[in-house]
Amino acid sequence: MNEARGVRMFRRGFAVQCRVIGALTIREIYTRFGRQSLGFAWIVAEPLVFAIPVLLMWRAIRGSHEHGVSVMPFLWSGYLPLLLFRHLGGRVLMFISANAGLLYHRRVTIFDIFVGRALLEIGGNIAALIVSFALLYAIGAVDVPRNLPMFYVGYFFMIWWAVAAALIVGGLSERSDWVAQIWMPYSYMYMVFSGFFYLADWLPPALRYVALCQPYTQAYEMIRAGVFGGVIRTYGDPGYAAFILAALTLFGLWLMREGRKYVVVE
Amino acid sequence: MIRVSGLCKEYRAEGKTHRVLSNVSLTVNRGEKVAVLGRNGAGKSTLMRLIGGVEVPTSGQIEREMSISWPLGLQGGFQGSLTGNDNMRFIARIYNKPFDYIRAYVDDFAELGRYLSEPLKTYSMGMRARFAFALSLAIDFDCYLVDEVIAAGDQRFQRRSHEELFERRADRSMILASHISDIVKAYCSRALVLHRGRGKVFDDLQLAIDIYNEL
Repeated sequence: MNEARGVRMFRRGFAVQCRVIGALTIREIYTRFGRQSLGFAWIVAEPLVFAIPVLLMWRAIRGSHEHGVSVMPFLWSGYLPLLLFRHLGGRVLMFISANAGLLYHRRVTIFDIFVGRALLEIGGNIAALIVSFALLYAIGAVDVPRNLPMFYVGYFFMIWWAVAAALIVGGLSERSDWVAQIWMPYSYMYMVFSGFFYLADWLPPALRYVALCQPYTQAYEMIRAGVFGGVIRTYGDPGYAAFILAALTLFGLWLMREGRKYVVVE
Repeated sequence: MIRVSGLCKEYRAEGKTHRVLSNVSLTVNRGEKVAVLGRNGAGKSTLMRLIGGVEVPTSGQIEREMSISWPLGLQGGFQGSLTGNDNMRFIARIYNKPFDYIRAYVDDFAELGRYLSEPLKTYSMGMRARFAFALSLAIDFDCYLVDEVIAAGDQRFQRRSHEELFERRADRSMILASHISDIVKAYCSRALVLHRGRGKVFDDLQLAIDIYNEL
């Protein structure tokens, strides 16, 4: 096969894939939110319904400052990434078997189904991030992140982590029911050890070292560095985070491909 | 052409490996209509799913040199909670066909009328079969994988399906899984007989039916 033909075939394959992913995303919106016009708004509203009451409640319980950091921006920048991870992970549990019917159409691959879902969750989360920021900014609870580029980098790593984790959870859940059982306690515990509650700087050095091995804690450190700027000391290392996330992503993609063999379609 | 060679499929259940298809080979040329005969549980539907690419074989090869429909059966391929129209929209997007054309074709062929705006789960078996078959005809594949579905439609639908597949689309191929010999005789020229996961192709259709009746 000559090169030009290869490129042409790749382009055609890519076009088919984009169309399939688009169709899956629209279908996902219909099946999840119904066909009413409010349906689409729910994608944004869903994370907000979770986030706003929790944020306000925490503010009431814990006061306005902690360790010299204002609580509201700290929680805001912690809770939305947490939601992304939990929602994306929750939506991919057993997602291959649950969508086995779609595999009747050979053009639809599990990868397409995954991407369709991930795009919807990520899009909804980013929209919720913006809307919640606007609301909290309007009442003076949060300020514009001091180092915006760093905030974006951190959030990018957080999205990457959520995607890599979802690939692994989705692939493993096809092999064993245990994964779905473990997911619930794990996703709760995640709140405690992820970095949602703490800055690495507040930990004793030994514990800090362990915490910073975790890619999501790395991402949290970068997000916090973005939100608070030089006021706090952070330990995010983009090089390390990229390395470990790339490895996890490859592992997840492999699991996902293997997971296909375990699927029995009705 | 579709070339299936040395196809095996195993499932694991209760810690044991269960072999459903064992070394099955079959070639389907353009325009050929091939029957797959076998009793319940002989592996007919599994073979269709493997050829359609719904599941992946444990070992063996499937070469596909024509476009193949999804397996048209009594279930699968659609979302029950979505309406007929929404299912058509999804399929039209996937296969890049204009929705208006698809809708008009299905409306005419399946004669489902207002049911197209009802969720698919409210359809009867016969309606579902008509919907699936009409939709696959609208997409226009080179080869149709038909799993007993024609038998589910009423007389008028069977007559129209026959017209559509043999008069207007005589150049299309079909693999028809069935255990009703009359339907097989009406549609096919060759047959693969499946028994306990093993398969043999007969060029003499009557011989295949006789052997199947002896099983």
